[in-house]
Amino acid sequence: MQVLLVAAEAGGTSQTAEQVMFWILAVVAVGSALAVIAMRNIIHAALMLVLNLAAIAGMYLLLETGFLGVVQVIVYAGAIVVLFLFVIMLLGVDRDDLLADVKMWHRLGAGGLAVLVLAGTMWAFVGPYTSDASRCNRPQEAAPAEGEPALTAEELLERASSHDVACVGLEGALAEQPNGSVSFVADRLFNRYTFAFELAGLLLTVATIGAIVLGRRKDRDEDLALLVEPAGAGADRSGQARGDEREDL
Amino acid sequence: MPIGYYYAVAAILFCTGLTGVMLRRNAIVLFMCVELMLNSVNLTLVTAARQWGNADGHVFAFFVIVVAAAEVVVGLALIVNIFFRRGTLDVDAPTLLRG
Repeated sequence: MQVLLVAAEAGGTSQTAEQVMFWILAVVAVGSALAVIAMRNIIHAALMLVLNLAAIAGMYLLLETGFLGVVQVIVYAGAIVVLFLFVIMLLGVDRDDLLADVKMWHRLGAGGLAVLVLAGTMWAFVGPYTSDASRCNRPQEAAPAEGEPALTAEELLERASSHDVACVGLEGALAEQPNGSVSFVADRLFNRYTFAFELAGLLLTVATIGAIVLGRRKDRDEDLALLVEPAGAGADRSGQARGDEREDL
Repeated sequence: MPIGYYYAVAAILFCTGLTGVMLRRNAIVLFMCVELMLNSVNLTLVTAARQWGNADGHVFAFFVIVVAAAEVVVGLALIVNIFFRRGTLDVDAPTLLRG
């Protein structure tokens, strides 16, 4: 948690702090992701997933999006991974021995395909944005040069389109907001994307109903038999059970 | 930090999740790898939002989180049912449809 706080501080302020936090979080995120796919104990894999999600939450903070960082911790680490652990422990399947008998050509093929996808993505999306121009919130942009007025977000966007500046940054946009990234996201969410937001609520309702239907026990007849059993019979049975316990003692 | 480095981390995480989906045969681990991939896409969206100084990416990432939550709820319910019915979580186990 302390690390995340430092990340939140580093997000908008200095370049060096952002770099240090970035490298720490990047190593943690990639390492824990590799651990998720390599661990044979599924509970350990789920805990590694928590670490990965926390590292990504830290990255959100570095990217000046405190709101999504908090949502990430609450929803993913707080709800989704707990659900995973719950199911793993419910089913008692914490050891995964299937991993051992994956064939070697299968491993090589999967790794090769992943490397291919990685190389393509790096070439297409990462390559153009590694220059010095793509640093966000550069000090020379924040400070007006030689009496010129500071650049507005629109001007920065214009320059970004002409490849002069490859990163607009959120500093200017967030400065106009009363409550930082919360009101920044809420403004867009409840104005332009209201309908999608309501659809998301509908989706969650349908998912909840679906989970209830799927989670219902199939052997309903036994349950019903217990329910419609006369009260006397139930009392008899409990008395019997108690008697058995006494005998055991 | 050049903005491309964040894209690079997201790409590495996506490919890690992809490898996991292709290699692992346990249904629960498969789901975790899908979560990894969804998260890397979220990281890409948030990075793009910062790059263009625009909140749209944040909203998209928010919706991805919502859909991921719904997907996990239904998916895990299905996995529990499959486990009770077949007694295994192996996604390559012989199925009813095999001739």
